[in-house]
Amino acid sequence: MRRLLVAVVFVVAACAPTLLSAAEATDRAELIGKLCGDTASLGDAGRALTGIAADGSPDDRAWAAQLARAVIDRKLTCDAKGAAVVLSEGSLDALSRTPRTVSEAGRTPLLSLKNRALFETADAALALRTAPDVARRAAALRTLERQASSLPEHLLEAAVGQESDPALKAQMMAVAQAAALNSPDPAKRIAALGRIAATPDRRALTQVRALLADPAYAANPEFKHAVDAATLTISRGIAVGDALATLYSGLSFASILFMAAIGLAVIFGLMGVINLAQGELIMIGAYITWLVQEVIRQFAPSLLDWYLILAIPVAFVTTAAIGIGLEAVLLRHLYRRPLMSLLATWAVSLFLTNLVRVTFGTQNLNFVTPFYVTGGVPVIGDFIFTWNRMFAIVFAILTLGITWGLMRLTPLGLNIRAVTQNRIMAGCLGIPVRRVDMMAFGLGSGLAGLAGLALAPIYSVNPQMGQNFIIDSFMVVVLGGVGTIVGTVVAALGIGQVNVLIEPLWGAVAAKVIVLLMIIAFLQWRPEGLFAIKGRRK
Amino acid sequence: MANIEGRLNHVVRMAADEINAKGGVNGRTIEVAVSDPASDWPLYAQVGKQMLEQDKAAALFGCWTSVSRKSVLPVVEQANGLLFYPLHFEGDENSKNIVYVNSPPASSVLPAVDYLMGEDGVSAKRFFMLGSDYVWPRTINKQLKGYWKSKGIAEAAWKEEYVPLGFSNFQTLVNQIRAFADQGGGKPIVVLTVVGSSIPDFLREFANQGIKATDVPVLGLDMVEADLEGLNTEPLVGHLNCWAYLQNAKGAANAAFLKQWANYVKAKNVPFKADVAIDPMVSAYDAVHLWAMAAAKANSFDVPEVRKAFAGLSFDCPSGYKLKMTAENNYVSRGVFIGSVNEKQGFDVLWQSKDASKPVPFSPYG
Repeated sequence: MRRLLVAVVFVVAACAPTLLSAAEATDRAELIGKLCGDTASLGDAGRALTGIAADGSPDDRAWAAQLARAVIDRKLTCDAKGAAVVLSEGSLDALSRTPRTVSEAGRTPLLSLKNRALFETADAALALRTAPDVARRAAALRTLERQASSLPEHLLEAAVGQESDPALKAQMMAVAQAAALNSPDPAKRIAALGRIAATPDRRALTQVRALLADPAYAANPEFKHAVDAATLTISRGIAVGDALATLYSGLSFASILFMAAIGLAVIFGLMGVINLAQGELIMIGAYITWLVQEVIRQFAPSLLDWYLILAIPVAFVTTAAIGIGLEAVLLRHLYRRPLMSLLATWAVSLFLTNLVRVTFGTQNLNFVTPFYVTGGVPVIGDFIFTWNRMFAIVFAILTLGITWGLMRLTPLGLNIRAVTQNRIMAGCLGIPVRRVDMMAFGLGSGLAGLAGLALAPIYSVNPQMGQNFIIDSFMVVVLGGVGTIVGTVVAALGIGQVNVLIEPLWGAVAAKVIVLLMIIAFLQWRPEGLFAIKGRRK
Repeated sequence: MANIEGRLNHVVRMAADEINAKGGVNGRTIEVAVSDPASDWPLYAQVGKQMLEQDKAAALFGCWTSVSRKSVLPVVEQANGLLFYPLHFEGDENSKNIVYVNSPPASSVLPAVDYLMGEDGVSAKRFFMLGSDYVWPRTINKQLKGYWKSKGIAEAAWKEEYVPLGFSNFQTLVNQIRAFADQGGGKPIVVLTVVGSSIPDFLREFANQGIKATDVPVLGLDMVEADLEGLNTEPLVGHLNCWAYLQNAKGAANAAFLKQWANYVKAKNVPFKADVAIDPMVSAYDAVHLWAMAAAKANSFDVPEVRKAFAGLSFDCPSGYKLKMTAENNYVSRGVFIGSVNEKQGFDVLWQSKDASKPVPFSPYG
């Protein structure tokens, strides 16, 4: 009897692992079948993967994480033998995780938008449980935050249980708390309201507003109070966020206008030359930035992210040289004939556009987007602080500082100012007027080159890009008062802010018209612009 | 010629070379004359007149924006010429002197919007229409609003905004889209009808503000593979477009076309990418072949004779669909694809129509 018992125990012990792994294997095989099925079963597979993130074993989760990612990246290939994950070093069978070849006739499932959302959720949920890197887990939590109420219940609990990073753990608890908005327990709901009001944006407002129709709102005074308080906090947050967003958009547009106009202000102010090729110098600045990027890619790939910084001197010097050449060869002979210099610079602009078109082609250039100009950070309400705009703003401020210093603190600046005020007198005093002209033209052109660099992360770079800026920059220069840096700054800020204020009210088309009308009206009143240089009329 | 339009010039030359290599049409070889009105719309009429009257062109191929087509329209009607127009457009026009090679909204935009509104799409309930300010976006949006009204969707469910042509500063508009999307009341989508360089500028700002295709999908009606050149498309994966041809269309005809274009780019040193093909290129290529077939069938280059020969023509388009023309009008039956942006600056085929539907020139929706 005893021997029999031992035998039975032995048999059970021998069977148990095989049985278990068999059950697991069928489960996985079914999931792979679904991944390779039609749109509807692909959706089921996405939900099943999220389920594994909540309830699966650690081994299952690691397996599922790889699959979810592979489907999103289109690295999963379905063929007659099942499915395989295609990696850079070879293919692994999705089920057995052993290397195997993928047949030519294999098909890569493509996610529809609906399924893509399910797989992004699954991927984030699995990353939250399996990713070794804290930043990746935090990013996953941000993705899940917006749909916290539709996640499986234990997912966040389980994630909180295993989280090692205290800050992230607290965040997870907050998300879990906010997800309890529709729980039966009123205390939990009130706590959830508090959490939701902590991120006051329009999405939160919509969520809280929906509660006004909730029976608990009429029945439970405490709950009513919490809802009203949350609505108030959120509305305030949105108002602050909107104001900041408007200011930021205005500032960012102003920085673009300023960068485009500052070079022109120097040239137009000093020599009275209407340089219609200014836009093309901006374009060339952007192209030089691209060339620098390509050279760095070739010779020092580790520095590739910093090409925007490294290109600053190159862009400035090259466009300045082009400007100096232009002045020496062409404009020098046309100073007394303003109409001719206008036509000549226009011809130069056409020439440069077509030269670039023939050399580089007409397509938009491909720029690497370094981390410091990628994406944005939500601040408050619906205000998102985008880094590429910030780059342009900081760049504009630095350019302003350097130009101001150059004009006020250096001998060249002194000469330029003297020539601007009274060319003949300055010449009589022994200032080399011709050389100052040349240097100033170079400075103005170099500044245009820098504008091209600053605009590369924001706008598309192609041979036509310069044409968009020329009218706007003349508007800024004329409104600001010819030849003053302060005027250029104030005019750029004004035009930028007014544009941004009008756009949401009457649309972008009307904004352009209204701004132009305002400028015309203003110039009727003050033809010299905002800040005219005081001096003798010429 | 701008980034995208320049490609049509070369593809028409390529088609002409191909036909000439096979002996030309009616014993004569095709000669291609080119002019670039540079998006200066009144100039299109002038250039068209010159080409028809001085150069005695047998047929015109071109125009991108609907405005340019509208300005050539009176010229071709007066001179009784033929213009092959390769873009999908707003319909509501039926001239006997224009061959509409691409689709009117009923065979491209409406199926795509239907897809997004349906279960397979995203069950879209709310719509933000953003377009450049000219006839194509305004007419398309008018028809869409009529269509939604006919489906019983309330007016509060959509919003319409326009920007000047060449507009690039989309910060406040993307803010508005976010505000619109967060109001609740069903899944929002953006129907994007901005054109030219506004498309990549919009997409860049959209991605930078952190909106993903799964939050608010963008249906870019003028968005082609070439608009994604120069963009980091990783944060844009999943946004949609709809055209009668996508580069990733399956089939031998497409493989042959792509190979032909790549060889042509290499041989002629054309300043465009050898591995990017867009719908208007294919439509322009189809147009040259349709014209050559009609002229051969009519055994004449006279416009009335060629026009008579259109009825019953069919051509195997690189898209994989068989193009057909009838005696009813100068429209061409095309299939439709919905493309989904991938991380390689291209579009994957998400959905495609079963066959080439019969074109409906005039929209019943306003």
